[in-house]
Amino acid sequence: MKKISNLGTAIILLLSLFSCMEEGSQMPAGEFERGILILNEGAFGANDGEVYHYDPNLGTIKTNIFESKNGRPFAGLLQDLVASEGRLYLIANTGKVEVVDPKDFANRGAVTSGLDISRSLVTANQKIYISDWGPYDANFNSPNSYIAVVNQLDGGSVNKKIAVSSRPEGMFVEGNQLLIACSAAKKLDVVSLNTEQLLKSVDILGRPSRFFESGGRLYLYARDGGNVYFHEINRSSGDIAKTVKVNLPLSTSNFALTDNGEVLIITSTGWPDYNDAVARVDINDGQVLNSSVYTGSGLYGIGFHKERSEIYLTDNNGFQGNGTVIILDREGIQKKTFVAGRGPSGFKFNLN
Amino acid sequence: MVVWLFILVHGFLPDVALAGRVGLKSQSLYPSLYIELEGDTLKLEQVEVFSNPLNKYTFGQQVKNINREHLSFFQGLGLSELLQQRTGLFLRQYGPGMLASLTMRGTSAGHNAVFWNGLPINSPSLGQTDFSILPVGAFDDVQLHFGSGGALFGTDAIGGAVHLNTKLKFGQGHAFQSDSNLGSFGRWNQQLQYGYSDKFVSVRTRVYRNIAENDFPFRNLAKPGTPIERQEHAAFLQEGFTQDFAFQIKSKQLISSSLWYNQTVREIQPVIGSNTRDLQQDRNVRWVLDYFNFAGKRIWNIKTGMVKDQLVFNASENNTSQFFLIGDLDWDINPIISSKSGIRYAHVQGKLSTYFAQENRIELYQSANFKLKEEELNFSLNLRQFIYDGVMAPFTPSVGADWRIFPQMKKEIKVHANGARSFKVPTLNDRFWEPGGNRELLPESSWSGELGISYEYKLGDFLLNQQLTHYRMWVDDWIIWLPKGNLWSPENIREVMNKGLEYSLDAHYQKGSWDFKFQSNYNWVRATNLTNISENDKSSGMQLPYTPMHKFQSFFSVGHGQFESYVNYHLIGSRFETIDNIAQLPPYGLWDLGLKIKRFKVGVVNARLGFQVNNVLNTSYQVLRLRPMPGRNYQLNIQFSL
Repeated sequence: MKKISNLGTAIILLLSLFSCMEEGSQMPAGEFERGILILNEGAFGANDGEVYHYDPNLGTIKTNIFESKNGRPFAGLLQDLVASEGRLYLIANTGKVEVVDPKDFANRGAVTSGLDISRSLVTANQKIYISDWGPYDANFNSPNSYIAVVNQLDGGSVNKKIAVSSRPEGMFVEGNQLLIACSAAKKLDVVSLNTEQLLKSVDILGRPSRFFESGGRLYLYARDGGNVYFHEINRSSGDIAKTVKVNLPLSTSNFALTDNGEVLIITSTGWPDYNDAVARVDINDGQVLNSSVYTGSGLYGIGFHKERSEIYLTDNNGFQGNGTVIILDREGIQKKTFVAGRGPSGFKFNLN
Repeated sequence: MVVWLFILVHGFLPDVALAGRVGLKSQSLYPSLYIELEGDTLKLEQVEVFSNPLNKYTFGQQVKNINREHLSFFQGLGLSELLQQRTGLFLRQYGPGMLASLTMRGTSAGHNAVFWNGLPINSPSLGQTDFSILPVGAFDDVQLHFGSGGALFGTDAIGGAVHLNTKLKFGQGHAFQSDSNLGSFGRWNQQLQYGYSDKFVSVRTRVYRNIAENDFPFRNLAKPGTPIERQEHAAFLQEGFTQDFAFQIKSKQLISSSLWYNQTVREIQPVIGSNTRDLQQDRNVRWVLDYFNFAGKRIWNIKTGMVKDQLVFNASENNTSQFFLIGDLDWDINPIISSKSGIRYAHVQGKLSTYFAQENRIELYQSANFKLKEEELNFSLNLRQFIYDGVMAPFTPSVGADWRIFPQMKKEIKVHANGARSFKVPTLNDRFWEPGGNRELLPESSWSGELGISYEYKLGDFLLNQQLTHYRMWVDDWIIWLPKGNLWSPENIREVMNKGLEYSLDAHYQKGSWDFKFQSNYNWVRATNLTNISENDKSSGMQLPYTPMHKFQSFFSVGHGQFESYVNYHLIGSRFETIDNIAQLPPYGLWDLGLKIKRFKVGVVNARLGFQVNNVLNTSYQVLRLRPMPGRNYQLNIQFSL
């Protein structure tokens, strides 16, 4: 009886084990794929950019997760954070890209040379495309901007540089075309991914910064002193199909898309008061629904958590020390604040 | 130039021995000059050319001279290296040969005044001095004034003042000297000087060239695997000359003048993780002319001069000029009371890459000493009113006292106390930089007090001197630049409370041909921010960034005959990286060893030889985060003189 009993126990254990293995094939999300990643840009000259992780359910914060995992500082000014091809790319505008595993931030590779002032990144055809302002000239202009092409997704050396209009920022891959927002030139550049040649440069209103999708449409965000422009892109031609003009003076390049066709934009009154605010704007008709959803000073980054219906704002605290994250409900009522890293500038929500 | 000056001056001089008359004046102010006959040879006693004593009206305050032996070890290196390694002061260094700013008593980089032969040389646009481009060897004497010195020295001297002085001598004849300093990582400092002096005239020319590749190995923390790499883009090239001149016109009149041209070209060492290739060129011209008239117990001094600075950062050129006219009367009214009254006028111009500005500055100052109880109890009172661009800076008084408690032969205990106000005029950049400059800025102002005790003990060939000072300082309207939308702008926003302890010990013992020296400094600094700049700022009550609470330094040397060896250690405590004190750099300590042959003959040439090993334990350290510094390195100093 005892042998039978032992055999039964063993079978149950084995069944349990196989059961677990089957579930394991679902590959549970890594620690940092859930919750919120906070981009901390770092201070100029200090290269102390880093990533923090915030779990909104538990309210816990993990600081310096790149350095904690890899045993060395990020050592750069963190400009952008891009999740693509099962990897997370940390782009430093000090001329570096680190490639990490999004589950635990373990380093997979890097691009450490051949870059100048890198801004953002996309992947296509198993390659990395990095927008880079290029070196400054004597007057701190950027006449030699480029897209750096790296042939391996885990980084390595820069294989090619595609010359583009001045100060490329955000990019978007549409079919075999790479769309590039060139802020100083006020142009939308289009590069062929087949030939890796610049196909055309389209003049646009305002200084463009980033692309975003809403309602199945592709938009390019641009602004000038008095207005914000939502340029709708013709996906097949790369031309501007339509522009929605928003009368919103003193807008910044920091905005976040909500879950209902609205955009939240940080504005700043400038001299002498420097009062910052968050404005809510309708994408479709360009109406400013509320010019001061929230007001403050030193507002630097913004995000919208669609599942929690919360606005996430950052205050850079004058870059004198670490910044602050401010959580608001969708109406702009403050719910919570906590300390982030140096110059918090943006968020990534639930990578998985 | 030297020859020209020599002919011009010496050729028309009457050969009159002024020694006696000069000696008469010198009883209290300067040493005597006399002629000693030895056989047929006329030997002249070397006499230092008179200059205003900086520490005359500083009862109750601390003024220290840097040991001249230390200066010789650092020939051609930046003054920053000397101050960091041999004093209790802390300098924020961005790399070897890179920007180095001084912090005194927990204040910021612009809160100490720097003078060259009595002229303020802090940049009027930046409000501070880069101590890495002040080459040791271009001046003869360094004095450190600790604590508030606004009443004595004017703007900037909130935490203290640094004085660099030329010390010419009469009666030396011809003298030629060559100093070479060869070291690791492409270091070659070379200085040549020639001088001539007799009883009436003294001229000296120095030329120097200091270069360093600074290609030291460091661990690149920005790359996967943190490989050891050679530092790139940190080369340093410095060239310059000084021309000094002094002329005893009559027994009661003296003219002295110094000219200093210094240019430095630096590849700016990038912070780890950056690929910047910035290039900075600094050119500085400083000229001073002094006229002294010794009338009884009165010394009249008329001083004029100029300080021109050019800083070219990549293609951005910034020029500033300061022109000075200063006059004062230093008068020993009687054995108890001395007085100094003066006026300083300065015309300041700034032609920066984004603005042009100019202004006139006038300062009225009055100092007085009172020596009571046979000089057992001494007081100094200093007053200064500074006016710039029509604005009255805070009126700055200071009152200090020294009290010798046991004025005995073998030991002396002295208590000193001082209370002072100081100020700093907003820099030209603070007010006029486009965009962002704020013309409404007020001067930063401070109140401070200190109390100290010193103990001096003498027994035979043993000398011991210890000093302990406690200070407190409150600085208001501290200016910081804050981001305002898309630009940065300065504001009088911060209030800071500093307190600390300074301890120093000097001991010297000589027995036969053996010579032992020990020197030690310890500084404890608590520099507390009292201001939150916004609702979300939590930095009130925190230590100011890159202001170590602890700095310790110690030097021990043993000399025997012509040989001397030393060991030096300095420890810098942890430094917070930001004002909220969330992250900090670890403390580090560095050991240095040296060996010196003080003097030997090679034919008719006198020679000195020194060999040093710096950072003996090859400690990896950063003074500022991600700014690597060299590991173990070697230096060979060779001096020839005729």
